[in-house]
Amino acid sequence: MFITRTRRLVAAAALAAVVVAAAAVASSSGGQPAAPVATPALFRGIPEHGGVLGDPRAPVTLTEYVDLQCPVCAAAARETLPRLVRDYVRTGKAKLDVRTLSFIGPDSERAARFAAGAAEQRRLWPFLEAFYAAQGPENSGYVTDEHLRSVAAAAGVDAGAALEFAGSAAAQEPLNRANADAQRLGIDSTPAFTVARGDGAPRVLPVHDARSVGAAIDAELGR
Amino acid sequence: MTARAASAVVAVAGLGIAGYLTVVHYAGGTPACAIAHGCATVQHSQYATLAGVPVALLGVLGYAGALASLARDGEGARTVTAFLALAGFGFSGWLTYVEVARLDAICSWCVASAVCMTLLAALSVARLLCDAAPARA
Repeated sequence: MFITRTRRLVAAAALAAVVVAAAAVASSSGGQPAAPVATPALFRGIPEHGGVLGDPRAPVTLTEYVDLQCPVCAAAARETLPRLVRDYVRTGKAKLDVRTLSFIGPDSERAARFAAGAAEQRRLWPFLEAFYAAQGPENSGYVTDEHLRSVAAAAGVDAGAALEFAGSAAAQEPLNRANADAQRLGIDSTPAFTVARGDGAPRVLPVHDARSVGAAIDAELGR
Repeated sequence: MTARAASAVVAVAGLGIAGYLTVVHYAGGTPACAIAHGCATVQHSQYATLAGVPVALLGVLGYAGALASLARDGEGARTVTAFLALAGFGFSGWLTYVEVARLDAICSWCVASAVCMTLLAALSVARLLCDAAPARA
């Protein structure tokens, strides 16, 4: 009887091992980086200075805190930003700034440093858009020079120059600033938005959907 | 308390945890990647779904299947319980590895479910090997 039970257990364990192995393989292979695609016309014709998108004289500054590996940030780029850019940035009501955090892992830092290089070329926002479109599995080591070159090509960024800048000490400055600002404002997740009128203190928004962020900008414009 | 009753208690606890995580997954709210790490990071990572099915829902199905198999006490039912518990234990181990090594984020609810699966696996193996099943009439 014991031998029969042992056989049953071995059979159950073997079948379970096969199921777990298949599930683990499926779980790991589900998120390979997508091929970068050319960025749409979302930002076309909008000026970018120092990583800030829009008219520098715009009365309201909307700042987004992101981690380039964050899938929710990628979703916000698809679902939230287009409406905000169309209704507020393109119309000169607000300008859009970004802070690139790197708390998810080393791939975040490599991407953020390269993004700083794209900002030097006034192509930060197209780069962010293209990077999100090709986002891979978190911390899988997918943010290689080859991957960044591919994203840069889609975003119209000079990859060689951006990589050179990413390797310089100057590329660390925006990362330090992002961390310091997030800490100062108590931002503990991404994406997060702050809104500020003129030189006023930024206000952290508790939401990140387009309608709520738009309402917050309207409130600042109405003050 | 018999191993069967203990298994049922653990399975109910696991079902509650997996059910909560499933509700959180579908209710959504305002998702975010938490800097302090934790459940939000895990819940919104690529590993939170398997072929489009939320892992939490798979947990619900696993615990419910284990509970259903506990309703009977034959050798076959015990083997099914052991299979479900061992598969759940193995997959929980994989997900815990993912949390630690790939996401650098620990979800306490996921850890609680992994503990339940570990207990359920140990109990079901002990029940299959050591506890005599009632003879068929």
